[in-house]
Amino acid sequence: MTTYDALVVGSGIAGMESALKLGDMGYKVLLVEKEASVGGRMILLSKVFPTLDCASCISTPKMAASIHHPNVTAMTYAEVDGIERLDGGRFKAKVRQKPRFVDEAACTGCQQCELACTVAVPDQFNYDLVARRAAYIAFPQAVPKKAVIERQGTSPCSYTCPAGIKAHGYVSLIRSGEYEKAFQLVLEATPLVGTLGRACYAPCEGECTRGSLEGSLPIRRLKRFAADTHYASESGPHVEVPPTNGKRVAVVGSGPAGLTAAWQLARRGYAVKIFEAAPVAGGFLRIALPAYRLPAEVVEQDIANVTAIGVEIATNARVTDVETLRKDGYDAVLLATGTPRSTPLGVPGEKLEGVYGGLDFLRAVRLAGTAAAADNPLADRHGKRVVVVGGCNVAMDAARTAVRLGATETTIAYRRGREEMPAHTAEVEDAERDGVRFSFLVAPVEVIGDTAGRVTDLRCRRMALGKPDASGRRRPEPIAGSDFTIPCDAVVAAVGMAAKGAVYGGGVAANENGTLAADKQTLQTNVPWVFAAGDATTGASDITRAVGQGRRAAHMIDRWLNGMPLADFELDSLLEVVDKNKVTSRQSAYARHGIHGGVVEGPAPAAALTFDEIEAPLTEEQARNSAGDCLDCGVCSECQECVKACPSDAIHLDMKEHVEEVEVGAVVVATGYKLFTADAKPEYGFGRYKNVITGTQMDRLLAPTRPFNTVLRPGDGKVPERIAYVMCTGSRDETVGNPLCSRFCCMYSIKQNQLVMGALPLAEVTVHYMDMRAAGKRYDEFYESAKAMGATYVKGRIARITEKPDGNLILRYEDIEHGGSIEEAEYDMVVLAVGVQPNRDAEKLFGIAADGEGPRSPAGAGLEFDEYHYVAEVDEDLSPGKTSIPGVFVAGTASGAKDIADSIVHAGAAVAQVAAHLEAAKKEAVA
Amino acid sequence: MSAPKFEWNPETAPANPRQGGPDEAQPAHEEKARRIGVYVCHCGGNISDYVDVQAVVDAVKDEPGVVVAKHTVFACSDAGQQEMQEDIEANHLDGLVVASCSPKLHVVTFRGVAKRSGLNPYEYNQANIREQVSWTHTNDPEGATHKAIGVVRGVIGRTRLSDPLEPLEVKTQQRALVIGGGISGLRAAIGLADVGLAVYVVERERELGGWVGKFGPMFPHEREGRDLIASLVQEIRKRPSITVFTGAEIASKAGSFGNYLVGIRVSGSGDSAETITVDVGSIVVATGFDAYQPPEGSFGMGLPGVITLPDFKALVDGTDGPLRFQGKPVRSLAYVYCVGGRGDGGNAHCSRFCCSATAHTSIRVAGLDPKIRQYHLYRDIRTYGSFELLYTESRKSGSVYVKYPDDAPPVVSTDRDGLKVTVRDLLSGDEELEIPVDLVVLVTGAVPRKNDGLVGILKLPIGRDGFFNEIHPKLRPVETVVDGVLIAGASQGPKSSAESVASGLAAVTQSAAVLKKGVAELDPLVATVDPDKCTWCGKCENACPYGAIEKLSLNGREVATIGEATCKGCGGCVPVCPENAIDLRGYTDGQITAMIDGLLEEAMA
Repeated sequence: MTTYDALVVGSGIAGMESALKLGDMGYKVLLVEKEASVGGRMILLSKVFPTLDCASCISTPKMAASIHHPNVTAMTYAEVDGIERLDGGRFKAKVRQKPRFVDEAACTGCQQCELACTVAVPDQFNYDLVARRAAYIAFPQAVPKKAVIERQGTSPCSYTCPAGIKAHGYVSLIRSGEYEKAFQLVLEATPLVGTLGRACYAPCEGECTRGSLEGSLPIRRLKRFAADTHYASESGPHVEVPPTNGKRVAVVGSGPAGLTAAWQLARRGYAVKIFEAAPVAGGFLRIALPAYRLPAEVVEQDIANVTAIGVEIATNARVTDVETLRKDGYDAVLLATGTPRSTPLGVPGEKLEGVYGGLDFLRAVRLAGTAAAADNPLADRHGKRVVVVGGCNVAMDAARTAVRLGATETTIAYRRGREEMPAHTAEVEDAERDGVRFSFLVAPVEVIGDTAGRVTDLRCRRMALGKPDASGRRRPEPIAGSDFTIPCDAVVAAVGMAAKGAVYGGGVAANENGTLAADKQTLQTNVPWVFAAGDATTGASDITRAVGQGRRAAHMIDRWLNGMPLADFELDSLLEVVDKNKVTSRQSAYARHGIHGGVVEGPAPAAALTFDEIEAPLTEEQARNSAGDCLDCGVCSECQECVKACPSDAIHLDMKEHVEEVEVGAVVVATGYKLFTADAKPEYGFGRYKNVITGTQMDRLLAPTRPFNTVLRPGDGKVPERIAYVMCTGSRDETVGNPLCSRFCCMYSIKQNQLVMGALPLAEVTVHYMDMRAAGKRYDEFYESAKAMGATYVKGRIARITEKPDGNLILRYEDIEHGGSIEEAEYDMVVLAVGVQPNRDAEKLFGIAADGEGPRSPAGAGLEFDEYHYVAEVDEDLSPGKTSIPGVFVAGTASGAKDIADSIVHAGAAVAQVAAHLEAAKKEAVA
Repeated sequence: MSAPKFEWNPETAPANPRQGGPDEAQPAHEEKARRIGVYVCHCGGNISDYVDVQAVVDAVKDEPGVVVAKHTVFACSDAGQQEMQEDIEANHLDGLVVASCSPKLHVVTFRGVAKRSGLNPYEYNQANIREQVSWTHTNDPEGATHKAIGVVRGVIGRTRLSDPLEPLEVKTQQRALVIGGGISGLRAAIGLADVGLAVYVVERERELGGWVGKFGPMFPHEREGRDLIASLVQEIRKRPSITVFTGAEIASKAGSFGNYLVGIRVSGSGDSAETITVDVGSIVVATGFDAYQPPEGSFGMGLPGVITLPDFKALVDGTDGPLRFQGKPVRSLAYVYCVGGRGDGGNAHCSRFCCSATAHTSIRVAGLDPKIRQYHLYRDIRTYGSFELLYTESRKSGSVYVKYPDDAPPVVSTDRDGLKVTVRDLLSGDEELEIPVDLVVLVTGAVPRKNDGLVGILKLPIGRDGFFNEIHPKLRPVETVVDGVLIAGASQGPKSSAESVASGLAAVTQSAAVLKKGVAELDPLVATVDPDKCTWCGKCENACPYGAIEKLSLNGREVATIGEATCKGCGGCVPVCPENAIDLRGYTDGQITAMIDGLLEEAMA
């Protein structure tokens, strides 16, 4: 455990002053700052009263000294998680270094990552007046001038994607107009961009935080938009072929798992050959999914990515023995053969003509091409009745296909109820829309045929739901004597699919249910050089999971062939998923709210039921607008643009937080204050009226690093001519629970009055005040000079502000000094002189969380707070800065509102006592 | 560092030896090829909004000796400093120029940059193109750019002639002197002792305690001033490293930073006095304030029943039932605020604590007699921060607040019925009120304490408001321009008791920060005498405001010698020397000439 003489929490002016003075005295100090730069709030000011010194000029030398001082160790972007007083009076503190996701040593502060970043969030260092990027350097004078990637967690969409696709990443790229980059980002995970853009069941959309508001973003269709845009613009597949590494891998099966694995392996330089038993590549994508959901061209475009990178695909090539592949020189084999077998109904009459397995039916239709083709299984039954048995997606596909083939009556018979159907709701609804009828709680008992051996009826039995079975769904139980028949010309049995089982020579073991036995994490089979992925090992799942399996298998094969351990390998180093409530509350805390682009409606039902693709693509405008609605849940979208842009390879999104325990002799709490949130005074309209800003925002408008390079009103960029100040916003105000005066608002307003009159010589400045509190050395003189410069001070509190259509604001007030009449005045811009609130983070330092939860320090060791939640000074008269815990001192505004000068002196007072405490401890130790 | 004034009379001043031609005695190292880096700072926009920084860079980049010339958004930022450090190391620079703000702000910062990159810190020179250029010529960007070029060229010229210098190291005494035995001084003494320094406390009065020692309950914690002082005195008694002199005054000061010799005149019984000399590393001046004493007639001063706040507080402190004044019950009273402050009585300043003190007093008065009527005639109630609670409580306890116009102060008068106050009340529609009262309390503020003797001895800087002046209210709030002489408490400006204590402790911190190391570094930018040229005329000795110059016998000749630790580098001695025997390190005649030449070159262009 590293030891220091003192720990200073917070690097605002009081914290820096404390650390530097202690360092000057020769004590070793650890200074911990939660933001990415030291400096606190003072550095964000324009100038400071009453000297009108530039705030940067006074802050920056202290900031630079804080990290260069030989006795001060500064940790930025770090938080103190808890401090415990040890026996003997020293302290143990847990300091958590939050991951910057940027290697501090390598980062040069060049800002390339900022420029490349696709996520914009309100810039807290400009008090939300403008945006900053998720990859950012705090502000131009930041110390250290190192970038940080703000990641509050993994966005729910990306977190939930079984394929490992950075959904948030491509959404933010599309928002930025970077469609090709969006396509390439998906390509990082899988070649099946266009396919997933259509046929993915989009679990991301189910998790989208917008879903609980106006409705989810159309994330899947955004991916389709990126794919369509890419394929429309590229004349052919354009992929970079990597140099070969000399090793060969055979992939058996060309479904989503096989294709993804082959793609991933080929990108690592492997020579990959896919063996496909069917006459076309693509597996279920080509032979099971109906064309109206996934046109063949789309799959072919996606597969062209794979062949373009050098993967060889052999169709009509059934593999029966993996040993031969080994002998043919393959270093590893991946079995990704899916679940090609339809489960039989298991009732009499199943062999009759006109009874099909669901998959067999779909495969036959897709391979046949058109409805009129001679080999179409329903061609000679056009206009007839079809019963589809089952409630899964395949059943829906089969039924909707039957409708498109001209069946007059298509019925789905399912043994449980609607709620229990495993098919996705959207698919069920689409089937209904196509005219498919549903018959629930019905199980087939026998297929009845005519003398020619052709189906005529399906005899069924009605069911009732009993107790839940292993799947959690209520088990259907037959009702005796309830049999009935459905007349029909064809029965499609979509009651399940199964893998092929142990069909390979070479001893690859299989499970009882026919899936291949492979380790769930490593996907390795009992034969070390044989891996199995996708439905072949998991049983029937869906395309997206199969893609995820293929990707995992490729990484595992790569590791295995390179002699690296397979266990404990983390394929995607994900952060915890971000809490959606935090996302929404963060959004509502932003001072300005974005305009919602509107939910993109679902596709209109097609006029005629054909095999043409149903779903309409998003227009570019729709795509940009809906991507623009993204709430950037995790903040960083993981779009990887910064990683690519960084010239010193400093960005590592897999960085982890790091908790360090330190032992210190004394603690200085310099956690500062929070600003009053001005929207808590709704009558002033902050957050709703664009030209109502806070005093701190005005300071930014006036600062040398000002966002707009001039003072303008945010609503329309107009240079304001009449500016009003509303003093005591959130201070001296029982209605917001703060009876205290915030002490510095009068003075910063007077300062701004002078600066505004300097910057805008034609502007009129009026201050609506209760008492002008210019109490301090040279303060009243400063107030007098503002009056002499022409600022007007009107006594009386503002009752209400209303906004005019042109953005001007009407202030209603009592003009106390001129007879007390109620007046109204119009201004271009209103500045709310917001005051301070306690920073209640300090309550967590010694183990007592604000909500009363969290670990408690040993009895009596808790830090005391006053009734207004500031750190209590137990002997302010004689020992300002002394707290309830011996050895713990408070400096600056953590103990109550103070201006900068008073904070600095207060810190000086705290430091003298820290030194006395340390010297006394030293003496005690010697004695 | 500002230099005290010295008189310069052109009639008696020595002739400029350089008049009429260039100085032949230019140091030889002008020919040495220098490697100088020049950085022109934008200062955000403070400079670059008015000065074309690119033009400045272009103009000076080919100056002799310049190998790097750049502009930078914030030279003082960490990134700016890093860039310079890298350049110094990569280009083996032997000189550094930053054209930015006043060296008062950042000379230490940039010397640090030089030092960290292995360059002698005194090879760094700052060109002030902000205070002296951009801020003064905001209406003439072109002219400002020209002037900036001249200033930078001049400083480059100065840097070409710079020499590496080593800071002067002085041992510092592990002792401190506190002047003033009020609450700030006493607490500072304890603080100094507790960080391991020996302390002398000098109090002019016979008793310790100052103002607070006379007070009963004080705001905001209701603790008695007398008790606070008593507890401090008790703590002092426990600390053998603190020596207290009461009835004592500062008689003299000699020596220099880290090693001051201070004479203390301690009066004994009767008229006897002895002078004790102590050697201390730092001096904390905590001499407090005086209460404003309104002249007769001002706000009724002199009328029966008109008293000042301190006197009223004493009255309240000594009462435990309904108030009586001069034997008569007090049933109503009026407080007149801002007497002797905010423009009254020639004082422009606000005394900061009076509003809170008065609100607090009124609460106590209401506690003594809930039926008493109290009127507060004020301009702005400045109960800042949590003192606002006092204002609220005062109103709740029955006090009536009446805001009077800045330009129409209340009038206090007497008639048959007794005392009355006439005032315009802005809070009730600017109505003129006539309030008959039993007592008028003039809320008098703080004024600087008369301390001419001490100011003269310590050379304490005085601000426009008459209080002692800090170097900078934020960067160095308790330091004065005299190294090692610190100011604390209300001697620097009006403060509450707790704020005075805080500043006393801040002075402890500052003392310890420089004394605890045992050695201090001083700037070597001091005057030096060429003993071969010096003929000891004594003119320099007279010109030196710091007493740094003495006569020395050297090989049978009398020559001047300059105490390096005492010299402040003000340069006052240099021009008075008829033999041109004195030069100032860092500002040699050659360097000053080079600066003028650089400036003129641009002016002539």
